Amino acid sequence: MNTYTRTVRDALYEEPGKKAKKQIAVATAISLVAIAVFIFFIAKAFYDNGQFDAKYWSFFTKYTTWRFIANGLVGTLEAAFLAGLMAFIIGMIFMIGRICNYKILNRIATVLIEFTRGVPTLLFIYFFFLIVPQLGINLPSIFRISIPVAISACGVVAEVLRSGVNAVPKGQKEAALSLGMTESKTFTKIIFPQAIHQVIPALIAEIVIVVKDTTFAYVINFPDLMQNAKVLISNYDALLSVYLVVAVIYIIINYILNKISVAIARRTQTSPVITR
Amino acid sequence: MSENTVIELKHIDKHYGNLHVLKDVNLSIKKGEVVVIIGPSGSGKSTLCRTINRLEGIDSGEVLIEGEKLPDSGKELAKLRSRIGMVFQSFNLFAHKTILENVTIGPVEVLHMNKTEAEKEAMELLKRVGVASQANKVPAQLSGGQQQRVAIARSLAMHPIAMLFDEPTSALDPEMINEVLNVMTELAREGMTMVIVSHEMNFARRVADRVVFMADGELIEENTPEEFFEHPKTQRAKDFLDSIKK
Repeated sequence: MNTYTRTVRDALYEEPGKKAKKQIAVATAISLVAIAVFIFFIAKAFYDNGQFDAKYWSFFTKYTTWRFIANGLVGTLEAAFLAGLMAFIIGMIFMIGRICNYKILNRIATVLIEFTRGVPTLLFIYFFFLIVPQLGINLPSIFRISIPVAISACGVVAEVLRSGVNAVPKGQKEAALSLGMTESKTFTKIIFPQAIHQVIPALIAEIVIVVKDTTFAYVINFPDLMQNAKVLISNYDALLSVYLVVAVIYIIINYILNKISVAIARRTQTSPVITR
Repeated sequence: MSENTVIELKHIDKHYGNLHVLKDVNLSIKKGEVVVIIGPSGSGKSTLCRTINRLEGIDSGEVLIEGEKLPDSGKELAKLRSRIGMVFQSFNLFAHKTILENVTIGPVEVLHMNKTEAEKEAMELLKRVGVASQANKVPAQLSGGQQQRVAIARSLAMHPIAMLFDEPTSALDPEMINEVLNVMTELAREGMTMVIVSHEMNFARRVADRVVFMADGELIEENTPEEFFEHPKTQRAKDFLDSIKK
């Protein structure tokens, strides 16, 4: 263990001694065996049920299957991108409302943030699927999924951004004001650039949630990965294999997002200014 | 008010809740004057310094900058602030900007100076305070003394009519205090109008034109450093000076 790769675990626990190391090795071995046994029994249960039969897996060798999955993946990525973008913009507006100098705006923003955070995504989706069309507004299906997902995420985005703004030391603002910058210039040039650096990992964590929330697209028949998976399932009568493949794809997407988050966090890490 | 008064405080009162932190404070500072404010901690000297550019609001009274009343808020306040430099205890360099950008951001964003020109001038200032070789680093890479000298350069870049120093050496390691005090002494010699909150008594004695002693939010005594340190008039000032003598 060197000092350059200090993990959270290193920070929380002291380095184990000889005896502790032995105990850790034994516990690790036992857990690995337990996990192996567990996986074996699950696999056996599937095998006994015939889930590994060729008919459930052979269609994955077809080009059309993968093209269909790829189409779904594009749908998911489009919806997630659009939802993430809208969530960021709305969240930004809410955050500014929450921290600005006008008490009424503070209250309105607080209520909206709590509302969007408190209501389940599915309710917003039903609202845009069932109620909005009755009002005579016909949105393209991609908006019927991305708008409600964005609304559901924007409150969290607002709070994440606000925590970043609050984490910027007060002296930064005072220094900017003392140079004669206006409040708005102080915010855009000094406070916000530092705030966003601090919260990029938290924002990416929220994008992961947005990606997962887009799976509700099946409710409104928008062809995302999940919806296309359902089509494959009914065509080939293959539940487990399709869900397994789709799950792996979602894991890969979110794994990549997390890697990006870690990379950005590492690159933009600004060590705190020496203040004693 | 005489013609060359730069800063004038009239009947300043301020409360934090029930705490009366500034009690009817009157102070005027002439062009080129170096005023050092001293006093026990909690006496309101930092608060007083910060009311001059309204980083602290006041309950009543007036702050006049070159005879002009300091507005409560808005663009006019920003404009007046831009003419008064401020150096903080904890330096407050912009952590996401390089040293050079820290010095150019004021002239570029507030005075709308052309960037190359601002950079040229910034390099001159950094040279003057002895940190030109660090221009492309970020603040966290510099020592406290270097950071504070950059902070002084950042203020100077605005061509201020006066500078406020709020305990500029209190956060520094002992070996770095002098490098900052030397820059300040140099400024005083060049005729900069300065208001300094400080615990550095030797510095005050050497550089100040006038020492202001505060206690419990009140301005107790004002005098030349020689008179104040040798013959304090009030008991509180005597007690304070005794308490800091080794």
